[in-house]
Amino acid sequence: MLLAPVDYYRPDDLGGAISALGTPGARVLAGGQSLISILKLRAASVDLLVDISRLEELRGIDVRGDGSVHIGAGVTYDEMATSHELASVQPKLCHVAAETVDAQVRNRGTLGGNICHNDPINNFPPFVVAMGATLHARGPDGDRDIAADDFFTGYFTNTLRPDEILTGVTLPALDGRGVGFQEIEIGEAAARAVAVIGTENGAVSSAQVALGCLPVPTRLTAVEEALVGGEPTRENVAAATATAGEGIDPVGDADASREYRIAMAPVVAKRAVLEAIEQGGRRG
Amino acid sequence: MADAAGPIQEIELTVNGKAVARTVSSRQLLIYFLRDELGLRGPKIGCDTGHCGACTVSYDGKTIKSCMMLATQADGAEIETAEALASPGGDLSDLQESFRTHHALQCGYCTSGVLMSARFLLERNSSPTDQEVREGIRGNICRCTGYMNIVKAIQATGQEEVSA
Repeated sequence: MLLAPVDYYRPDDLGGAISALGTPGARVLAGGQSLISILKLRAASVDLLVDISRLEELRGIDVRGDGSVHIGAGVTYDEMATSHELASVQPKLCHVAAETVDAQVRNRGTLGGNICHNDPINNFPPFVVAMGATLHARGPDGDRDIAADDFFTGYFTNTLRPDEILTGVTLPALDGRGVGFQEIEIGEAAARAVAVIGTENGAVSSAQVALGCLPVPTRLTAVEEALVGGEPTRENVAAATATAGEGIDPVGDADASREYRIAMAPVVAKRAVLEAIEQGGRRG
Repeated sequence: MADAAGPIQEIELTVNGKAVARTVSSRQLLIYFLRDELGLRGPKIGCDTGHCGACTVSYDGKTIKSCMMLATQADGAEIETAEALASPGGDLSDLQESFRTHHALQCGYCTSGVLMSARFLLERNSSPTDQEVREGIRGNICRCTGYMNIVKAIQATGQEEVSA
C-alpha cells in the first residue's frame, strides 16, 4: 500500500523532537502500530513524521521506594510484559500488556502511543484513569503534569498541544489494593472496566473504577461511593455496580450496538471489582 | 528507487547479515523495500493492514509486521527474513524441518511469517505448551492448513532442542 507523500525526521533527543513538532503538519510517530494504519487509510493528513521511538529519554521502567512506578512513554507492551521490576508492583499491568494484540504489535507498540491515540478499544486509557495515574508531558515551555482523569478529551483526542510530547506515566503505589481488568471480547472489546479496590477490616476502604470502550475513559464515582464502607461480598458488589451503564455514551458499530455496550457496562464493572477484591486479598 | 514522489531518506541497515545502503522514499513501507528493492520474497504481503502476519520479520531480534513500519525506520537496524533461517548451503533449520515433517503448511503463503514468530517464541521458551504456542502465533493467520499441525511442528522443535 502506498502512503501519501510524507517527510520523516528522527531527532537525537526530546528537545529536537519538540522543536520539529512546531512545524505545521508534523505528527509524532512512536511504535506506529496505529498511526501507520491511519496513514494507509489516508484518514489523517500528515506532512512530517517525527520518529520518537528511539529516544532514550522516553525509555525505562523505574520503581520507586514507595511502590510507585514511572514508565517511559516509549516503553513497549513487550517490555512491560517481561519486566520483573514492573511485575513486583503492578502485576496486573504486566498481564494486560502480555495479552495486548499479538507478539509483533507488542514488540513495537508503546504505552505512550496507546494512551495518546485514545482509540476506545485501547487497553491503557481506562487503566491509567482507574489507577489515578499522573501523565507527564513536555513542550517548548517545559514540563507539566496532567491527571489521567483530565487527559482524555474525546474519540482519538487528548489534551496535549501539537508540540507537546507525553514523556511518561507515574502509577501510584497500590499499597495492598487489588486491581481488576475485565472486558467483553467482541471485536476488540465491546466493554471494558478497570477497578482498583482496597479492603480493610472486612469492608471496602477505597474504590476506583473506570470504564473503557468510551470516547473518554470514565470514572464511575456513583459506583465507587456505593462500594466504599460495604462488605466486599458478591451481592454488595453486584448492587453497587448495577448503575455502571447510566449516563455513559458509547458508540455502536459493527462489533456491538450502543445498547449492548451500555448493558455490558455493569457486567464488566462487577467482574473487575470482584477480581480486584480477590487479587487484593491474595496479596494481603 | 521505484517511487520518486515526495521526500527521500538515505538508510543503512543489515539484512540477513549483509550490509545494505539505499535511498528510499520516506513513505515506503519496509515490506515493499524488502521485496521490491532487495528481492527478498520470503516476507509476504497478505492483508497489508497489519492483521495477517505474513510480512513478519525480525527487527533487532524481535518480530514485527513489516507492513506496519516505514523502511526508513529500519535505518541502523538488523533485519532478518525467512531467507535467513536455512543455512547458506540450503540445509533447512530444525524448525523448518519440523514444519515439513509435521505437514505444517499447505499453500505456504503464511509460512515464512509463522516461522519467524515461532523462532521468536522458541528463543524465549524452548518447550511451550499448546496454549503458549497459540498465543505466540496469534499474530499470524493461516487460512488453509489450520493450526493443529503448525502447533505440533513448533512444539516438536522445542522438545528436540531440550532433549538434544
